[in-house]
Amino acid sequence: MVLVSLVRDYIGRMLQDIPGMKVLVLDSQTVSIVSVAYSQSELLKKEVFLVELVDSMSKETMAHLKAVYFLRPTTENIQKLRRQLVKPRFGEYHLFFSNILKITQIQVLADSDEQEIVHQVQEFFADFCAIDPYHFTFNMPMNHIYMLPTVVDPPTFQSFCDRAVDGIAGVFLALKRRPVIRYQRTSDIAKRIAQESAKLMYEQETSLFDFRRTEFSPLLLVIDRRDDPVTPLLNQWTYQAMVHELIGIEDNKVDLTNVGKVANEQQEVVLSSEQDSFFKANMYENFGDLGMNIKTMVDEFQQIAKSNQNIQTIEDMSKFVNNYPEYRKMQGNVSKHVTLVTEMSRIVQERKLMIVSQTEQELACNSGQAAAFETVTNLLNNEDISDIDRLRLVMLYALRYEKESPVQLMQLFNKLASHSAKYKPGLVQFLLKQAGVDKRIGDLYGNRDLLSIARNMARGIKGVENVYTQHQPLLFQTMENIIKGRLKDVDYPFIGNHFQQGRPQDVVIFIVGGTTYEEARAVALHNASNPGTRFILGGSVVLNSKRFLRDLEEAQTISRTSHAV
Amino acid sequence: MSTRNRTPLYRKYRDALRSVRVPVASSLPSSSSAASSGGRAGPVIEMVSTSLLHPARSYAPLSTEDPSNSSPAHLTVSLPPAWVDLSEEISVNMQHARKKMSDLVKAHEKDLMPSFGDGKEDQHAIEVLTHDITYLLKKSEKQLMKISSSAPSGDSNIRKNVQRSLATDLQNLSMELRKKQSLYLKRLREQKEGQDGFDLNMNMNGNRPTMEDDEFDDIGFSEHQMSQLEKNEAFTREREREIAQVVESVNELAQIMKDLSVLVIDQGTIIDRIDHNIQNVASSVEKGYKELHKVLSLCLRRKNTKKRRNGYVCDSSCHNVLHYAGPPNTKGITLLINTNTNWNKSSGRGRYSVAGLFRGNPCILFFFNDLPCVFTYSLYFIPSFLWN
Repeated sequence: MVLVSLVRDYIGRMLQDIPGMKVLVLDSQTVSIVSVAYSQSELLKKEVFLVELVDSMSKETMAHLKAVYFLRPTTENIQKLRRQLVKPRFGEYHLFFSNILKITQIQVLADSDEQEIVHQVQEFFADFCAIDPYHFTFNMPMNHIYMLPTVVDPPTFQSFCDRAVDGIAGVFLALKRRPVIRYQRTSDIAKRIAQESAKLMYEQETSLFDFRRTEFSPLLLVIDRRDDPVTPLLNQWTYQAMVHELIGIEDNKVDLTNVGKVANEQQEVVLSSEQDSFFKANMYENFGDLGMNIKTMVDEFQQIAKSNQNIQTIEDMSKFVNNYPEYRKMQGNVSKHVTLVTEMSRIVQERKLMIVSQTEQELACNSGQAAAFETVTNLLNNEDISDIDRLRLVMLYALRYEKESPVQLMQLFNKLASHSAKYKPGLVQFLLKQAGVDKRIGDLYGNRDLLSIARNMARGIKGVENVYTQHQPLLFQTMENIIKGRLKDVDYPFIGNHFQQGRPQDVVIFIVGGTTYEEARAVALHNASNPGTRFILGGSVVLNSKRFLRDLEEAQTISRTSHAV
Repeated sequence: MSTRNRTPLYRKYRDALRSVRVPVASSLPSSSSAASSGGRAGPVIEMVSTSLLHPARSYAPLSTEDPSNSSPAHLTVSLPPAWVDLSEEISVNMQHARKKMSDLVKAHEKDLMPSFGDGKEDQHAIEVLTHDITYLLKKSEKQLMKISSSAPSGDSNIRKNVQRSLATDLQNLSMELRKKQSLYLKRLREQKEGQDGFDLNMNMNGNRPTMEDDEFDDIGFSEHQMSQLEKNEAFTREREREIAQVVESVNELAQIMKDLSVLVIDQGTIIDRIDHNIQNVASSVEKGYKELHKVLSLCLRRKNTKKRRNGYVCDSSCHNVLHYAGPPNTKGITLLINTNTNWNKSSGRGRYSVAGLFRGNPCILFFFNDLPCVFTYSLYFIPSFLWN
């Protein structure tokens, strides 16, 4: 079952058995979870006529409403709920929690429910934000903590791990499976999350996870973002990934308020593959094909608009009035996509991204150190290139040619520091320390063993279809290895005495530190072409290059000031 | 998709803790509700027990407390607001309309079938049904509009949402009706044309021999042709009448739809997002406060001038003034007036003071002829029971 439909089922079940007018109370996290899966009009159909946040200080009593609470079982939420149970505003209270409640929390709630207004307390494990059918995220704050050792900030580190473990458990409870767990050996945080998940699923809550065993257990693979630092740094050219990279998508919403002249109702738009069929068909298309498809859509729309203006008989009139809602919807959709593509084109022009991205792709996919050095130097000298693009180029160069020519690397660092005023010195070095070739186990550039070198050469000779989309994230290789059963035990050990024979049918890959839309695309396309195994991808956040760099900067700042590092 | 029910465990703890707790607070069992049969609206009367330890004195227009009750527990009877009845009525009307529409479809079918009679009763039935349905829809629409225009109270968000949901249903119903009517009309036309065409053909074939006979008598038409012509005219007239009727109902429905389209949410747009709507509520409160500060600064600037124009604007239509209501709720709907500002006790006109949000609009509190008044963008009658 796809992730979105799982969340929808949970929400539907919450609301269906409660007749009458309802109010839905959410917290800041569950708002995202519910909003990506359920729309306001669907809530209205279920007679939910008010949605509130649990932080709301409203004192209004509405005893004719029944309250449905859907919260994460955190301490703060329990406290807020306590206060509201003591002074109830609604007639009935139905409490749903998105994850496992502790016994103490149940006791606290029972204690404050003096008036016995709580009718049910349930755990509905929709604890993840299902942004696409095979892609989920947790929207975690303080994401940068994964780059730092535990000792720097133990409580934040612990809460990061807890949220990850709870969320992963939620995913598997929703899927009703209990997985075999593997993790990336070189990453401490991945190991920790894997171990704590195993403890939860196999020791602490065995009965809850005791599902019907299938022939092949599903696999949970916990890996670290730093094993593939290249993917988040690259510029993207497929629709969904490009929008996120250039403008930014948050919970399937795009905020266009900073974009030049935009009509009022287009200030914030929704990009959801479930609700928008054009987007569903084009989200993984590259920019060129996308442009053509948009033009076709606009032409179709103009045809309809013209025929609408040509109303002569009464029949035409009634047909127009009948079709007006669909016409209006189509108009909104067309203008949404046109606005997005226009804005992205403008940004591409402004930042000269065609040139920059070509070099980026070369750095990521092809070798040739001297030529690369020259191109990067030229671009650094080019005044039109923005600071962030310069930084990314140097980082990509450094990640690839870290060991090959240290002198030239130093030259690039100095050039970067001198050109870019806002550049924090040492950031590239920090990146190398975090994700340099010594720290990675994945064969990021396909140059570790003979087979991959040969493969790359063959590809180079054959030529690529599109220079801008030639990069394939490391995740793709990992998925192929899993299917063929070639994922090395040495690099990706099993937890405890788990073992897996043959190939799994369901795989959940969790990337600590965040996923990218490029990787989500790889997963979706892989699922479409390989129906035997189903991959689901999730991460702590969804990254683009800005966010990744920000995480790096914050981690670097903390590590500088902390004595423990 | 697994879930876990913690209610039994919860109840166990609740009962255990209840027996442990000092029995000062209420111990009456929780609400008993009478759910309506259609499940459409909530219970009409709810009995909620509150304890003396938590007096709910805040602005609660829906509940009345019985202060004379000195027993440890007293009941609060709360009625749902009046518009809930309206919404129930509307949904009942729409049920009727739906039933009538299925009858209408049956009547259409019957009329379109070939029959021996002249179909007048069928036509009549169709007319009556169509008229009824249109009337029901129009009535529902009027009532829908009434929901919003009734006196604004705290639950405007809920009201808006109820309106939206009913508007969507109403719009779907009217579109369905229109589709059925146009389908019927189309089939009717096809039928009639078929008949006419057939007749004309007959005429052509039948008249040829007579034409030859009446070579010298070609002025006027033969009897046969005359009667045929009359029949055609009758058909045409009747068809026109039917078409006109259908067109009229189409127009009426179009009007309804135009009014409703304002209310209905477009699916897939940003307005249909739950988080967007929650944010909007919060941001409108922010905006309200910003407006308030603007007004205040204007206020203070004019305080020291001799001519206090604003004070004269508000006339004696302001009666009582809410003295103090309570902390603002985040929706900014209840009134907040902070009276801990410097009240200038001297009499006279146009003394200004800090105000707050009254029903979502920033307002100024001031004295006019020693009467406290509230000046907002529109004048409000403030009911006396709010006077505190």
